[in-house]
Amino acid sequence: MENKSPRLVLSPAPHFVTSMDIQKTMGMVVIALLPALAGGVVFFGAHVLLVTLVSVLSAVLAEYLFRKALHREPHVQDLSAVVTGLLLALVLPPSSPLWMAAVGSAFSIIVAKELFGGLGGNFANPALVGRAVLLMSWPAYMTRWSPSLRSAVDATTSATPLGILKMGGTVADVMKSVGASSRAQLYWQMFLGNHGGSIGETSALLLLIGAAFLVATRTIDLRAPVGMIITTFVVSWLFGQDPVLAVLAGGVLLGAFFMATDYVTTPVTPMGKWVFGIGAGLMTVLIRRLGNFPEGVTYGILFMNVISPYLDKLIPRKYGYVKPVKKVTA
Amino acid sequence: MNARTFRGGIHPPENKEWTKDIPIERIPTPASVVIPLTQAIGAQNQPLVKVGDHVLKGQLIGDVQACPAASVHASVTGKVKKIEPVLQSTLREAPAVFIEADGTDETAYMEPMDVFSHAPAEGIQRLRDAGVVGMGGASFPTDVKLAPPPDKPIETIIANGSECEPYLTIDYRTMLESPADVVEGLAIAAYLVGAKRAVVAIEENKADALPVIEHEFAAHGHGVAMEAMLVATKYPEGGEKMLIQVVTGREIPSKGLPFDVGAICQNIGTLKAIKEACVDGKPLIERGFTAAGGACLTPKNLLAPIGTLVSDLVPNVIQLKDDVRKVIFGGPMMGVAVPSMQIPIVKGTSGVLFFTTAETRLYAERHCIRCGRCADACPARLMPMLMNASLDVDDLDHADAIGLMDCFECGACSYNCPARIPLTQHFKVGKDLLRNKRAKEARDGK
Repeated sequence: MENKSPRLVLSPAPHFVTSMDIQKTMGMVVIALLPALAGGVVFFGAHVLLVTLVSVLSAVLAEYLFRKALHREPHVQDLSAVVTGLLLALVLPPSSPLWMAAVGSAFSIIVAKELFGGLGGNFANPALVGRAVLLMSWPAYMTRWSPSLRSAVDATTSATPLGILKMGGTVADVMKSVGASSRAQLYWQMFLGNHGGSIGETSALLLLIGAAFLVATRTIDLRAPVGMIITTFVVSWLFGQDPVLAVLAGGVLLGAFFMATDYVTTPVTPMGKWVFGIGAGLMTVLIRRLGNFPEGVTYGILFMNVISPYLDKLIPRKYGYVKPVKKVTA
Repeated sequence: MNARTFRGGIHPPENKEWTKDIPIERIPTPASVVIPLTQAIGAQNQPLVKVGDHVLKGQLIGDVQACPAASVHASVTGKVKKIEPVLQSTLREAPAVFIEADGTDETAYMEPMDVFSHAPAEGIQRLRDAGVVGMGGASFPTDVKLAPPPDKPIETIIANGSECEPYLTIDYRTMLESPADVVEGLAIAAYLVGAKRAVVAIEENKADALPVIEHEFAAHGHGVAMEAMLVATKYPEGGEKMLIQVVTGREIPSKGLPFDVGAICQNIGTLKAIKEACVDGKPLIERGFTAAGGACLTPKNLLAPIGTLVSDLVPNVIQLKDDVRKVIFGGPMMGVAVPSMQIPIVKGTSGVLFFTTAETRLYAERHCIRCGRCADACPARLMPMLMNASLDVDDLDHADAIGLMDCFECGACSYNCPARIPLTQHFKVGKDLLRNKRAKEARDGK
């Protein structure tokens, strides 16, 4: 008499779920990257917007077409391809040709991500794989740096601060390149992002704003980035370099906050995250100091990506695994 | 004062506002009840009545000589119509006694008993005779729980007033409406186990129940050192392992039991049942529960005879929307979805929720993105995503090594998963597979 409803649904507990989903998570990362992108436009001009647009579109299109060709469910709406395209653009030089951004982005998605099963299956950061491949394939384009439009120094091409140091330059040369007359001024210019570098890596300020957003929304965990930044600072200092410059120059902050925090390719355990960050920082400085490239963030993080599964063995103490307290007998 | 809590957990919508201010309503005696013969963890009861027998409210109708086991009593006075298997809220079919009420209210209760003038063992026997079980959902026989091995002294007994499951407010209402019964029950329980300290743990969102409970300590505490403690509003704060850690600062060892750390937890409803069994001589034949959910037009707390069919509540006691898509016995986090409403309320039923189609959302499961939100949520500090990855490749041994058997299936990881992976369900299945594997290994002499 009473049960008029057609069929009751049976499903396992729990019977409700958080509203947070993959799309929102990725959306948070996109939002957090927008200040850095805006900085890129201000420092390097409208061309970087085109590079970014092409990179994002290429990533989305590559994912859509690849999954369609393999008769897999489309996942474009989860925004992870947008994140990959955006991240790749931010680590490209401002003067990158559009076709190169498109190729790199498609490579990131298809080879680094979809061939491993798509989001969640990839072992290395797709954007960094894309950048690494572009760096090997078109080194000339990948090392041609345009100066900041806001720079006090008049020049048509410039070297990045790390490039200057790699070529044997001193901190004074770096100061000259950004038109700073004191170390404080140098740090300030570097903090604002007013120097040569990749589209989205130059401004510590804007990257920190994005990172603060991700921390506030509990999207990222700070262990890996903090480990990476502190290690970069300390090891550079031990090598006799300016440690503040080592952190502010190049891609350390972008890498630390947005790539060493990539869910899929970094450890999930708290201790694993620390080791990941410290290892990435160490590799970065070693490559900068001993390798052929002026910058080591890309390969530092990619290297740590590879050993991440091992770092996941560092699981924390579980509930109930405490040594029993000696009972006081009455 | 900051409320104490544990690491991990989640904050799902509480959804308690619909029922928290509505007094518990005793339903009119239903025309018939369907009383499952076995309603507790332990041995299967045998029927002690035959078809055609006239039974009195409170009369023993099912029992077995075994431990653990819990007897079952008639919840209405009337005639036994049949004894047949019925589908129960455990989703298993098991024998139940169908009783047609005759409208009279003759009872067959036990003699009232002043527990404090008897040896604890006699009080324990009384709880066994009254069929008292844990009413928070686990349905473990209370007489067994309150009789730990002699080498495990109990220091602290905890009244679990956390009620962390969303929607449910029956424990809260019971604390507000029957604080003396709850405190009396707590004093009896403390006496039976010899606990020197009794703590009523209440979540902050129910803080107004705290002074009400405290007020009864003097009159009904029987000299037991009692305190009321605020704990943070968080799921699963009321989980036994969590609450004991919060109150005593000690973790129950893996594969151990609460008495290993000298503590015992009791549900609020159970404490009231303990008091009624002893002071009033009344077996556990009725219980309060919350009826709520988006498809329930009249959310409220009800006091119903054990064996009342949910379908018999409609439409006289509660009214439902036409759009009932899911019916849940228990809370939304750990409750069981049932396939019909012809299912009886049992001793372990803390709530019945009715969800609309909009609330009954089914999601496509995605690949794990390793975001770590499951680990953030896990109160046992496990790594659900790693356990799930191991189970995905049938590596039961690795899942075991990283804590599969320490999962107590609270559902927090599933709730938090943005990829909508039914982690908790995977772990339930994985635990079964692992137990089978270990049993097979034992048989094969490995």
